Amino acid sequence: MVRTSDKFPGVEWVEGTGDFIKINDEKCTGCANCIKVCLGSCFEIISQKAHIKSLETCMECASCWYVCVEGAINFNWPQGGTGYKSEWG
Amino acid sequence: MNKEYDIIVVGAGFGGPVAAKLCADAGLKTLLIERSENVGDKVISGLTIPFYGFIFGPAFIRDGNPPFERPSDGIINYIIKDIENGIIDIDDSLRVPKPLSPIVAFGYNTYCKPFCQWEAKKAIQAGATLKTSTTVVDFIKEEGFIKGVITDKGEQIRSKIVIDAEGSQGLLAIKAGVREKYPPETISLADTYDYEMAKENIDKIFGYTVKMCWGWDEQKIAPPLGYGNGLMVWPYRNSLHFMQDQCLRTDQKIVPNLKKLFDEYHKNITSKLPWWKNLVAPRIKLRARMWEGFEIYVGLNSTLRNYPNYTNGMILIGDVAGLEGTELCDGVPAAWFSAEIAAEIAIKAIRANDTSKSFLSKYNEKIKKHPIIQWSISAKNRYNLRIAQREHDEEKLKKYIHDGWGLGSLTYFTTPFLRLAFLFIRDDPTILTKWMKMYFRYYQNWIYDFKTKTYQEKTHHRPLFKQSLFLTGLKLINLWVKLFSVFKKLYTKTLINLADNANSYLSKKLPKMEPRLLKLVSLMDPISEKLSKRLIEFVKKADPEIFKVPDYKRGAVHG
Repeated sequence: MVRTSDKFPGVEWVEGTGDFIKINDEKCTGCANCIKVCLGSCFEIISQKAHIKSLETCMECASCWYVCVEGAINFNWPQGGTGYKSEWG
Repeated sequence: MNKEYDIIVVGAGFGGPVAAKLCADAGLKTLLIERSENVGDKVISGLTIPFYGFIFGPAFIRDGNPPFERPSDGIINYIIKDIENGIIDIDDSLRVPKPLSPIVAFGYNTYCKPFCQWEAKKAIQAGATLKTSTTVVDFIKEEGFIKGVITDKGEQIRSKIVIDAEGSQGLLAIKAGVREKYPPETISLADTYDYEMAKENIDKIFGYTVKMCWGWDEQKIAPPLGYGNGLMVWPYRNSLHFMQDQCLRTDQKIVPNLKKLFDEYHKNITSKLPWWKNLVAPRIKLRARMWEGFEIYVGLNSTLRNYPNYTNGMILIGDVAGLEGTELCDGVPAAWFSAEIAAEIAIKAIRANDTSKSFLSKYNEKIKKHPIIQWSISAKNRYNLRIAQREHDEEKLKKYIHDGWGLGSLTYFTTPFLRLAFLFIRDDPTILTKWMKMYFRYYQNWIYDFKTKTYQEKTHHRPLFKQSLFLTGLKLINLWVKLFSVFKKLYTKTLINLADNANSYLSKKLPKMEPRLLKLVSLMDPISEKLSKRLIEFVKKADPEIFKVPDYKRGAVHG
């Protein structure tokens, strides 16, 4: 299955990525760095902890993982052949 | 089903396929693994591949016909001082003068996807196996050696050496314990818009120039200099890329709200910057918006720069090895150079049956001695812009821009360029004419539309005698260089010495020479224009055969 998004034209997402980004609740301090750098709005804060709202518009840039100084974000690549794709890169 | 290869290359971006092709050329059983469904699905960027990437890079790219979108003959820097009152300075001193331009370009703008696909195809033709839709999640480790990879499907694939070309994140390199995660200050997020625009408008508005914008932080029009980044527009055949990029963390350890900032700045630039608002905006159609993170200042940090780029049974190339350029934010040439060196060392290691760290350390030695890689990862002009911003010093701002993307860049770049050029000429005197042919062929190639697979203008063949005149000219150059290389030792010593002094000589002389140089160029304009047109006509109408390099030698790798 392939998805598109009105917000981001020219881009498709192949489903079946698996949970390739995970947040460790114990390590998260709720600093919101991940929210600030995520252009796809994938994160939200619920009771002072970051949560993944949806990875549907994730372009796998790994910015969230880079800015998480607490090491609370675990970033892996999606399953092979899934996730973000574009013709115009 | 567990298979065994001599070499596994992880990642089919710009570097991976080069390493895979060269290993396969040498008769090694080679596997190229890519996580996306099609090669190039995941790549995002606006891109100019600078000419030195083609000249000193893999011969099969230089002497082949890779797909590129538009020659690029200069940079126009817009220095935005006060956008509300339209106070904008321009530095467009870096350009290839006519009559050479646009046939001789300082780079070629390309889309990443077709280029990576073209490279991967070459690797397959050379005998490498390409495996897509496969994410490598770990390595097979035995007795301190990397002995292959483990995929997301649980498959174990063994190899004598793994060449890691996974890109800047380096998830695998971290897993292998070779290096650590890069800090957010060294990563820039590139917010990219792809717009369609009719070719005649691109020709008129952009011609062959890349446009860059630099603005004081408070102008909110180009990403803040205080964080140290920029805004670029690349024209392609009949489209363009707009890219604003911004580091994920400032020197003061502040993570900016990039989402808000990018939206605000994009809105400002498209509604306030005169040439965008008046010329570009009415003629474009948004086709795609995407982003990626790329490393930028890794080479400026001594700890990061000294991370190993190899271990037992494994070599890192391109971005994962910290080889992204700082000035042009372009890691393609460095990825190619490192891929060639990695392939050379890997082939030797396998033939010597020694894949240990100590053998593979030769790779690192060559990377550390490569004049262009080292210049590329350690140039500081873009980084220094944050000092100009902090002090709000206009003179400094202009100097750094001039030294990075103006004629001043010659005072940084000439030494590494000449050094490498002389070494290449020493090893293959005919390389000069290959360079010339490369430019002619690429210009002719540019007339070819890769999408419709037709030439935009029908090529007619010139009368044969003019073509043979051209070929005789090339032969004379070769003869001259060959004669010269009889005195190889003397030649190398003298010229390398000359190269080593070129930067400091130009630093002294260029500021005085520059106004006169630019004046001379503009005085020559009417004649240059005519000559340029004639050259273009010749190239367009020439038989493509005369620009081919039939029996090229593999590009030598220097250390």
